[in-house]
Amino acid sequence: MVLELQKPRPIWQIMFSTHHTDVGLLYLIMSLAFFFMGGVLALFIRIELFLPGPQIIADSMTFNRMFTVHGTTLIFLFILPFASAVGNYFVPIMVRYKDMAYPKLNAIAFWMLPPAGALVWLGFADFTWYAQPPYSVISAPAPAADMWIFGLKIIGISQVLGSINFIVTILKCKHPDLPLSKMPLMAWSFLSSSLIVIVAIPTFAAALLMLLTDRMGMSGFFDPNVGGDPIAYSHLFWFTFHPEVYVLVIPAIGMMYEIIPRFSRKPIFSHSSGVFAFIMLAMVSFASWAHHMYATGMSFTEKTVFMVGTLAAVPASAMHVFNFLATMWGGRIKFATPMMWSVGGIALFFAAGAGGVVNSAMPLDFITHDSYWVVGHFHLFVMGTIAFGSFGFAYYMFPYVTGRMYHEKLGQVHFVLSFVGAILVFFTQHILGLFGMPRRVYDYPPFPEWIAMNQIITMGAVLLAIGAAIWLGNFIYSMGRGKPADMEDPFKLGGKYYYPYQQKTPHHD
Amino acid sequence: MSEHGNWAEWVYIGVVCALLVWVGAEAWNVERLVEHVPADAEVIKVTGQQWFWSFEHEDGTKEIGELHVEKGKAYKFEVTSKDVIHSFNIHDYVVLIDAVPGRINIVWFVPDEVGEHEIQCREYCGLLHYNMRAKLYVEEST
Amino acid sequence: MRSKIGLLVVFTIIFIIPTLNYAFAAGDEPGEYLDRRVVIWNLFFRMMVVAFTIGAVVSGTMVWLVWRFRESNPNAKPTKYEETGEW
Repeated sequence: MVLELQKPRPIWQIMFSTHHTDVGLLYLIMSLAFFFMGGVLALFIRIELFLPGPQIIADSMTFNRMFTVHGTTLIFLFILPFASAVGNYFVPIMVRYKDMAYPKLNAIAFWMLPPAGALVWLGFADFTWYAQPPYSVISAPAPAADMWIFGLKIIGISQVLGSINFIVTILKCKHPDLPLSKMPLMAWSFLSSSLIVIVAIPTFAAALLMLLTDRMGMSGFFDPNVGGDPIAYSHLFWFTFHPEVYVLVIPAIGMMYEIIPRFSRKPIFSHSSGVFAFIMLAMVSFASWAHHMYATGMSFTEKTVFMVGTLAAVPASAMHVFNFLATMWGGRIKFATPMMWSVGGIALFFAAGAGGVVNSAMPLDFITHDSYWVVGHFHLFVMGTIAFGSFGFAYYMFPYVTGRMYHEKLGQVHFVLSFVGAILVFFTQHILGLFGMPRRVYDYPPFPEWIAMNQIITMGAVLLAIGAAIWLGNFIYSMGRGKPADMEDPFKLGGKYYYPYQQKTPHHD
Repeated sequence: MSEHGNWAEWVYIGVVCALLVWVGAEAWNVERLVEHVPADAEVIKVTGQQWFWSFEHEDGTKEIGELHVEKGKAYKFEVTSKDVIHSFNIHDYVVLIDAVPGRINIVWFVPDEVGEHEIQCREYCGLLHYNMRAKLYVEEST
Repeated sequence: MRSKIGLLVVFTIIFIIPTLNYAFAAGDEPGEYLDRRVVIWNLFFRMMVVAFTIGAVVSGTMVWLVWRFRESNPNAKPTKYEETGEW
């Protein structure tokens, strides 16, 4: 692997480079920057909800804009680009090719994201990341809403281009000596998530265009006043974004497949069941989208179909958990920071999955729908599983990217604070939902239970924030002044099996 | 890869699938029970708009921001919206259905105790979504 | 192989299709008075009992794995893959 930060180079050489590790580095830096920006918004939201009545945010409009941009940022500008960063670094190495299949396209796909992020942040729209019409058509203020639509449009194109690149790299540029069945599971995870993107995203792209023409008054696809149907948008949206959930989670599981065997000093328990589970997830992800819409007045038959489709995704996820635990069984596990994040992520993945099974049961929707239960549930996935896997992998990559070691103890403190914080925040949010608090509210009536639970959640959020601050300090300090890493074996595991170490790709600039 | 049997994984997958079948069957059964509206349920038309609820009883009485019902009677809510999507929710009675403009959605319940309960909007609907509330009064039957 | 497919077809016709028909047809006949609070919350608590039982088993397994197979455990011994360094 190339040590981008150790070998001094002028910054424009990295910015205008098309080499996969350089583009990966750009993705990495941008995604982490957006993680901290979105996290700050979350902190504002939590402080506002600490007590009933206005606290630090002046009015509900500002609050609504904040949670909209919080969600949009963390999903589209943190999680997805982070996965692209990891894929850019590792997929070419894993398939033993000198670069991504289309290096220029790769750089273009990255450089579409900063303008898209700027559109989302400068617009600061208020209609939630879901942009549900008719609200987004007749009520949401311009130009924020239109800027959001264009921003998401650009992100969608960038994602499709990136996915095409991954698929071609893996299927066409793979070394002839390496059969698909022997390809590392992390490369498999990128193959399956990219395939989902290719199939899912065009639907949302179409829905965004329809939303835009509706807003301009040229059409009425989603406006019931002129004969449109707002529920049609929900179908189009969730047809893309339920599979998209798996696009987010599959690379994170792939990262854990990289870390867990390495630190357990054992090969993965079953490579073939991992591959099978990835393919299963990619297919079944398309069978469950309307479970987000039980409350929109669906018929009993429709609900039953989508409940079965949702439950069908569970065995594949359960196979991954089994694979992880069976790999750890009988190993000699080194609990360095990346391994701690992965194991914590698996624990929360199980909790999120169990909550998901309960969610899919149709009648329970009357209790949980659009309440804080849902907020807790999907945050357990995106923060507890996906971000935990990603953070662990960020620590794992750190020596390869910078040539230096991060501070191990501080990394572990970051993990412990985040794990405790995540449990406090997201488990309490489940209970708060059972007490009936709706999501996306600026203020709430002073029921004593609601107040108490909101305060617990806010304190957990502060723990998460402290952990993230420690992380930022740790990485910035170690980048320049950390101990030089032993590039043969930075984590002192003893194996001689390191992709990055085997990498001999020269720059082609 | 490594040399080991797969029986443990098969047993595990079997247990997972059995549990899922149980969840699905239970949920299906309960949903079937709660979806069937009794034949003699009284209709209340519910309309959501930014940012209040209005109700119309079968006899034509209209109420805004509060709803009076009688204990022990079945009520069928016909829920719709005038502008954007809202969600009609009486959490204490586990009543929840979206109010979608251009559609009439149905949910029903039988209040069984005299008391006051919160009615709220659960779907994000803009500026005062957080304050789109009403009160449900369950009264002794006459 | 062929007999297996045949068996599957027979099984589908005999069991699965009637089950699906029954499942999807429900919802036409008028219902009876029932307290939806009781029915729905009971379902919720039944599922919670199962979920927490499984959660206890899974998290117990994980805690034991982490405790038993950490490298600082006195009983920890090198895995057989460490001899060659390939895993």
